[in-house]
Parts: sequence; structure tokens; C-alpha cells
Amino acid sequence: MAVTDRAAPVRGMTLADAWRSFRTAIGLGWAIEANWSDPFLFAVYTMAKPLAAAGILVVMFQVITQGQNPEFLQFLIVGSALWNVVFGVMSGLVQSILEDRERYRMIKYVVVTPTSLFPFLLGRSLARVIVSFVAVVLTMIVGIVFLGVELRPNLLYLVPATLLGVTAVIALGVFMAGWCLQLRQEAWSYPEAIAGALYLVSGAIFPIDILPGFLHPIAYASPTTWWLEASRRGLLDHGSPGTLGGLSDGMVMLLLAVSTAIAIPIALAAFAWFMQRARQAGLLDMTTGS
Amino acid sequence: MSGYGSTVATNPREAADWSTGRVIRSNLRAVAGRAYPRVIGLTREPSWLFFEIFLPFLAVSAFVFVYRALEAPEAFVGFVVLGGAMTSFWLNVVWMMAAQFYWEKDQGNLELYFTAPMHLMSVLAGMAIGGLVMTSSRALAVIGIGSLLYGVTYDIQQPFLLAGVFLLTMIPLYGMGMLFASLFLLWGREAFHLAQLLQEPIYFLGGVNFPLRAIGPIAGVVIATLPLGVGLDAMRQLAFAGSGVQGVLPVGVEMLILAVMGVVFIVAARLALGYLEHLARREGRLTLRWQ
Repeated sequence: MAVTDRAAPVRGMTLADAWRSFRTAIGLGWAIEANWSDPFLFAVYTMAKPLAAAGILVVMFQVITQGQNPEFLQFLIVGSALWNVVFGVMSGLVQSILEDRERYRMIKYVVVTPTSLFPFLLGRSLARVIVSFVAVVLTMIVGIVFLGVELRPNLLYLVPATLLGVTAVIALGVFMAGWCLQLRQEAWSYPEAIAGALYLVSGAIFPIDILPGFLHPIAYASPTTWWLEASRRGLLDHGSPGTLGGLSDGMVMLLLAVSTAIAIPIALAAFAWFMQRARQAGLLDMTTGS
Repeated sequence: MSGYGSTVATNPREAADWSTGRVIRSNLRAVAGRAYPRVIGLTREPSWLFFEIFLPFLAVSAFVFVYRALEAPEAFVGFVVLGGAMTSFWLNVVWMMAAQFYWEKDQGNLELYFTAPMHLMSVLAGMAIGGLVMTSSRALAVIGIGSLLYGVTYDIQQPFLLAGVFLLTMIPLYGMGMLFASLFLLWGREAFHLAQLLQEPIYFLGGVNFPLRAIGPIAGVVIATLPLGVGLDAMRQLAFAGSGVQGVLPVGVEMLILAVMGVVFIVAARLALGYLEHLARREGRLTLRWQ
């Protein structure tokens, strides 16, 4: 019998299929991320890094100001805490796709299954994203309890800002994941490099006015700049020192929405193109040995 | 006849009976062989060059801008640049010394190390020498670029002493890497998390971005355990002599501590390797991938 004589047409992927892939990938991602380690040890690893990162900034602040200018301390704590999400999302998405290609060599099998790579990738990286949110909460708690950070949350502003901001960061991560599939060497270092560069230009730990003038356009174009600014306003009821702090709440939210709306279609289109190129060029089962 | 000996052995027992000179030559070859890819990688892998300079430089820049935002004295910018350069060595120790045996196991090289006629300390020494040469170029680049871009001025009154302190810092630092290489392998799958754990927390405890005295009594613990913190504290006192920077202890005492640490870490690394080889032969588990 010819293979074309199929009794029933092949159905496309449904939402239920995508959900099942997503859910399974979450479990897989968590098992790999926690690496079957002792829960206590895993908690220590998870907490030590963000707390130490915030601790460095707090000591720098204390050495110079002797505790004066508490508004700047709050600016530092919130920026340092939220940056965990940017790094967690970007490294989560990129490392998931690279680990599955290079280390576990499973991505080619995922791609040839009837499921889509996209929900799998999102689910696979979710563990790191959750861990990064734990780091945010933990850093904020330490800030409130030990450093006198006063939160005045405005949920009506904070919730949409968080939704938009996290969506924008996921879009950046999706773009990076597709891009890193194309790279021959050192793809593992790209999330750190890009997140590090964004850390510098987004006003995470210092006002962007301090940056050299030629970096200002990049700072204003990045959705992370507006997400951090909007989150500070939603959490602290005041913005950053400097130019950004002078903008109205509505303007900051509008700029966050616009930059997110631009980032999402660009990221999705780029990811689709990167995947198509990866299929054509045989990059899905390539191992770089890096 | 092999290239390693001058006579043809007539039986396996005779072939295994190496003279002291041959053992030394073989181990020196192992040191050179393991250092070679890291030294040659200086020029053959431009992407390494880019990331190993660019990433520490990004971190240095962020902390420089924080100090500028806080209107800190300019000497603090110099502290950050020097600290950033030293983090290159620390990253090299963590990822390319401590975690290296774990990666080698994953790639299947570790069992070759165990069966090769050489001491594993030679492999570790080769990794350390190669890593030191490779990372020195990155650290110099970070210092050069950072100093030029951010206008750091140094006040070095005793350059030879500064160079001596730097070299003295490298011995316990890489000795610590040798010790961790065995421990990471013993702790198995935790290697990645451990390497992560040894970054920001160590930058904090080591006073990479601020004078070590600022962390108060914890500085005493750091001085007793962490070569990065001790070395950096001594180097800052010598590189910024006119800035009025106060170290935790005088430079001479810190040098003595570094010398003691060097001996302790290298002896501990030797003992840990012995235990590791014992386990590898008894259980055969250490060469299994992903364990």
C-alpha cells in the first residue's frame, strides 16, 4: 500500500498538546535544574548568589554614604533584586536549548516529534525563572527586614508593569535562544554577556544619566529600562534618581508597553527564522564541544 | 622503542620499572602538555579572548558607575578595576581548575588521566600554569582598558613588592583550585551549583569591589581562609599607597599568610588527589559520566 493512502488526515497541534508538552517540560526542567540535589543544598545555592550580589552593593553604598541617602539604597535593592529575573529568564531559555542540543543531545528528537519546540522550551526553562523569582522575593525580604527598605506597593501599577516587563524579558530570552543555536563557539557565554550589557544600560543599579551619552539611546530603547523604572514606582512609590524619575507614571508605563509590543513580534519572527535556518543547516544536532 | 625510553624492555615488569629521571621527565611532559592548550588558546580562540575580557569589564564598568553615582573618591574606581582584574583569575580557578576534572569526566578524558603513567598533580599543575598565563593576558587587558577609560591613577611606591605579592597570591589561589578539582569530582553533580556558589558570595567576602575592612569582623575569617581577599587587600595597599587606604593587616603579615596558605592548599590538594585515586580504583565510579 502506498504511504499516501492514509486513512485519516494528520491533525495539527492543539492547545491541549501544547499544554501537555509545556507541563512535561516543566518537570524535566526542574529535575535538571535541581539536578537531583539535596533540597537544603539547592536552597543554599539559590539564596547565596542573589543575596551576595545585593550585599556587594549595600557595602559599597555604606562605605561611601555611611547610610545617608536611603532612597538610593532602595533604588539599589529593588534593581538588584529584579535583575535576577532578567538573568534567570535569559540564561534559562538559552541554556535549556543548548543543554538539550550539546549535553543531552535531545533537541533533535523534540523537534521531530509532533509537538512544537516553543512550549517545550518555555516549560523547560520555567524552573530557572521560578528560582529567579524566589531570589527577587528573598532579596526584597532582606532589604525590608535588615536594611530598612520601605515598600509602598501600588498593585494597580505594579501588576501590569510586571506582566509587561516579564513578557518583554521572555521575548528577549526567546530571541537569544534562537540566536545561540546559530553559534559555533561560546554560545553559553552569550546570555551572560547580553544580560551583563543590559545590566549596564538599563539603570539596574545606577541612574542611566551616569552612562556616557552614546549609550543613552540604547538605554531608552531597552524594555528592561522601563520595566525596572515602572517596578520601582509600583514597589516604592517613587522612581529612579535623575531623568527617568522626572517622567510621569503614565509615560513610563506607555514606554514599557510600546517597547514590549515592539520586542515580542521581533523576537517571535526571529526565533522562527532561526529555527528554520537551524533545520536547513543541520544545526539542531550539531555539537560544538564548547 | 618508544620516545620515552632509550632501551627496549624485554618483559612487562621491566617496562614498568622506570628510573627517577624518566618519571620526572614524563611528569614534566604532562605539565607542559596540559598547559599547552591553554597557552595556545591565547591566540587560537578569539571568542575566549573576547568573553574573558568583555565579561569582567562589564562588571567592572557597572561598579565604577555605581561609585560615580555615589560620588565616591576616585581611588574607589581603582579598587574596582583591580578587583575586576583579579576576578578573571578567580573565574579561571573556579571554572577551569575546580570544575575541570568534572568536565573531563563528562568528556571521557578522566579515565585516560587515571591510566596514564603520570601523577595527577602534574595535570593540575599544567592546568594552573596554562590558566595563569592565559588569564594574565585577560587581567592585564581589564586593567589597561579600565584604567584608561575610567582614568585610574596608581601610586605604586614598591613595584617589585607588588609583583611579589601578586605571584604569592597566585600560589594559594591555584592551590585552592587544585584542591577544589578533587572535591568537585567527589561531590559529583553539584559541580555546576558549586561553581555558581563560588562567584558572587566570594566577590562579596573577598572585598572585590570595596576595601575588605568594610565587612567588619568577617574580614578576619576571610584573611584566614580566602587567598583572593588577602592578596587583593595587600595589592590595594601597594597599588594605591597615597590614597590612605587601610588594609586589614600590614602587607608583610598578609604575605606571610599567603605563603602559609600556599603550602596548606597544595598539600591538601595532594592528599585529596590521593583519596580520589583510591576511590577511582576501588569503586570505578568516578569515571562514570553524569554522576
